[in-house]
Amino acid sequence: MNLARMGYIASGITVALLILAPQISPLMGLDISIVTEAVLFAMAAMSVNVMFGYTGLPLFGGAALFGLGAYGVSLSIKYLNAGFIASILIGVVLALIGTLLISWFLLRRRGIYFGLLTIAFGQIFYFIAYRMNNVTGGEDGMTFQRAPIQIGALKFVFHETSLYYLCLGVFLLTLLAFWYMTKSPFGHTLVAIKQNEVRVRHLGLNSDRFVFVALLVAGGYAGLAGALYATSILFTFPLELDWHQSGDFFLMTVLGGAGTVWGPLLGALIYVLGKEILSTITPAWEIFLGGIFIACVIGFPKGILGSVISLLSRTNGSQAQEAPEAEPARISG
Amino acid sequence: MDQLLSELFNGLILGAFYAVVALGLSLIMNLTGTINLAHASFLTLAGYIAFTLVLHGSPFWLALILAPLLTVVVGVIAERTLIRPLYGRDPIYSLLLTFGLALVAEEAFRLIWGANGVPFSAPGALNGTVQIGFITYPLFRLFIALVLIVVIVALTLFLRRTQFGLRLRAAILDSEMIAALGTNTQLLYMINFGVGILLAGVAGVLAAGLLGLNPTSGNALLMPAFICVIIGGMGSLLGSIAGGILIGIVIALTTLYIPAASEVSMYVLMAVVLSIRPRGLFGEEGLFG
Repeated sequence: MNLARMGYIASGITVALLILAPQISPLMGLDISIVTEAVLFAMAAMSVNVMFGYTGLPLFGGAALFGLGAYGVSLSIKYLNAGFIASILIGVVLALIGTLLISWFLLRRRGIYFGLLTIAFGQIFYFIAYRMNNVTGGEDGMTFQRAPIQIGALKFVFHETSLYYLCLGVFLLTLLAFWYMTKSPFGHTLVAIKQNEVRVRHLGLNSDRFVFVALLVAGGYAGLAGALYATSILFTFPLELDWHQSGDFFLMTVLGGAGTVWGPLLGALIYVLGKEILSTITPAWEIFLGGIFIACVIGFPKGILGSVISLLSRTNGSQAQEAPEAEPARISG
Repeated sequence: MDQLLSELFNGLILGAFYAVVALGLSLIMNLTGTINLAHASFLTLAGYIAFTLVLHGSPFWLALILAPLLTVVVGVIAERTLIRPLYGRDPIYSLLLTFGLALVAEEAFRLIWGANGVPFSAPGALNGTVQIGFITYPLFRLFIALVLIVVIVALTLFLRRTQFGLRLRAAILDSEMIAALGTNTQLLYMINFGVGILLAGVAGVLAAGLLGLNPTSGNALLMPAFICVIIGGMGSLLGSIAGGILIGIVIALTTLYIPAASEVSMYVLMAVVLSIRPRGLFGEEGLFG
């Protein structure tokens, strides 16, 4: 069977399973909010996928943008009495502003230097949230009430299942946009930057501009995910912005398969469900999670989906669908 | 004035801590491109080993020597088994691996030594204070300053005055060439990683005595050390030291005048330095993109 057709069928099955998730998850003894979390983490991990999987730049500060989205929602509801849609938009805009601010520093650097800068600049937002006690609640975080949607006289408040479908709908739309992006000339240019940026520049393209747009896309994904996450758990706290959280998003992306469209979702599902199941068995679940991650980095650097795709494309002899690996970069020079 | 002086002194000692941790990070980063996110775990590990040694009757000075060495053994084993397979690949994979390692380590500390902090303080002989000019200053802090200075000087001599240091510096510039000239680069990588962890170990034991010891206590030193590397410039060891001192002074001044901004101040410093010099104070253009 053709690899592309297999991809479509697998995508269709996945979407069907996600739509049926509120019926399936109780059978596994899981609350639907767990699946909501997985879907939103997948959306946030897509920011890593844009930057790392396709452009080849390690975005290790995704959580700061995720957290900006979340705090945008909680602060706007608490202090501005914002409505449902307005609060989420404010969250996304806040994340985009954050992206704009740090992009000025990030754009000048590539490779691990870029990664180091994303960690460091991300921490600024963490400390702001942590230190502004009187506004953000500091270390304890802040709770808030979910804003209703008001259309004329009709008032509607999301409950767990309807919120899941909202998040799923938004996720699938962003995933579709992502898929479309990977097929577009823009997406191909990002992959070209990953493979050899110097060559892209010599072809007359301003690679900085492409990286900048990619950063904004990543910031948008992370911010939207964060805004919906805050809406879902009705609580925001500084650790959402910490680099450990960024690392978790990175972990999900690499586990599922960086440079594949569905990789972040697969990684996020394994991460969230694995954490949920492992933490009921043993309190030391992080050892297993870290262990799985270490094994994955050493054994399957392409991630689960990336390995499956390259295996299938090898046996089929057809063209690989994943973003190709970067040419081995020299450490110094 | 007294307050300013003693605050500045505190800042300098903190800066020296950051510099020593940053030197370890830099050494590892410069040679192999690995951003060691597990560096904090090695700091914490050294603290816990020293705590256990002291608990079983070892004197503090012995723990200060033994704990970093034992940490180096753990570090070198981790490097040989886990990080070595990744040297040929994009450096980002070794960063991810050390992130996984840090997760495992933190949980392991929690299992072995408990989730809460353990008491670990300076020995009695170092508990007093001394009079320097107009200010009284804790002896333990002076002792720390002394040890950190000795460590930095020893490292400089090691890199500048020994054959091995020469090879190490050459390998940073061109590891392929140095391998072609007959140096065993794998051995070089291993010893380099070991030296980096040794620095972390010494800083870890001293920091445990000064700042307390719990499963995540090392993290408090990791981020400032990263900032040191960025401010000083990647690829430059002198830069890491300068970055540490600069950050120490800035933190001291903000702690005194705007306490709420003490953590954010170093990030502001970083942003200012990077806007003026994107490569950092002593960084070389072209190295690390």
